[in-house]
Amino acid sequence: MPTSIIAGVKATRMELLSLKKKKQLAQKGYELLKEKRDALIMEFFRLIEDVKELRERLQEDLERAYLNLKYAKMIDGPLKLHSLASSIKPMLNLEVEIHNVMGVRMPKLNIISRGEEITQHSLIGFSSKTDDARRYFISALDTIIKLAEIEGSVKRLAEEIEKSKRRVNALKSIVIPRIEATINYIELHLEEAEREDFTRLKFIKRKLSER
Amino acid sequence: MKITVVADEDTVLGLKLAGVNETYIVNSPIEAESKIRELSTHPDIGLIIITEQMGAKIRKLIPDIIRKGIPIILEIPDKTGAVKGAEDPIRELVKKAVGVDIKIGKKQVK
Repeated sequence: MPTSIIAGVKATRMELLSLKKKKQLAQKGYELLKEKRDALIMEFFRLIEDVKELRERLQEDLERAYLNLKYAKMIDGPLKLHSLASSIKPMLNLEVEIHNVMGVRMPKLNIISRGEEITQHSLIGFSSKTDDARRYFISALDTIIKLAEIEGSVKRLAEEIEKSKRRVNALKSIVIPRIEATINYIELHLEEAEREDFTRLKFIKRKLSER
Repeated sequence: MKITVVADEDTVLGLKLAGVNETYIVNSPIEAESKIRELSTHPDIGLIIITEQMGAKIRKLIPDIIRKGIPIILEIPDKTGAVKGAEDPIRELVKKAVGVDIKIGKKQVK
């Protein structure tokens, strides 16, 4: 498919100059965006591996936690467990910050004000399995929060990569070729005009000398 | 900000033991979706934990909330273990971002 030229362009020298500047700009932008895209992809892969690792850890943590919860249910009974769960004071508070990394808004989660006692004392009147279940769920929750942070970042990154990929491709295969084609068109046009002028001059000169 | 759980009974019970403030027991995907929608408009909620089992059913219904970024929605395995191919959303992201299907972790291009 021949690249179309920019519509409504006047074949003048001024236009040619401004187009050449535009081309330079587009090329610079293209290089920069390409670098950005590559950097984002590198970051993306670094995070993806963390995600995988954390997912595995979470899987293990939760398996243990559910197992212990099952035992705890058998020993203490679901009713007692539910009332215990309801009596536990909410001790977790989350702080969500948004970091800006290369134009990508990445979430960062921090736990604030986790009560110390939550992990330390054991519960009176409950089996050790209940204690274990609780401990494992607490450690699973830590992993969950970390995972949430990284997965959130990864999703954002993926979107951003897609966006800059599209931009890079648009510059490379549409914008720059189109500018080049237009430059070419104007140059041809100007040359043609020059030739016309030249012949006209010759013609007039001949007419004048014939007199 | 707060952490919330929208999940089945056991997951909720466990995470409640771990000290999560707000928990909602849901039994059907429709219920889960409307709960998540309701929670996502709440400015004080930073993280919604759901189960992978539920996530597989409602992921397609809530792309706008997932895109929004906050609250973050995270899927965790429930007591039946991880869903096979639970990495799929991530893998899809990789495919979308890089253009090739890449096996995560082992740095092998398929």
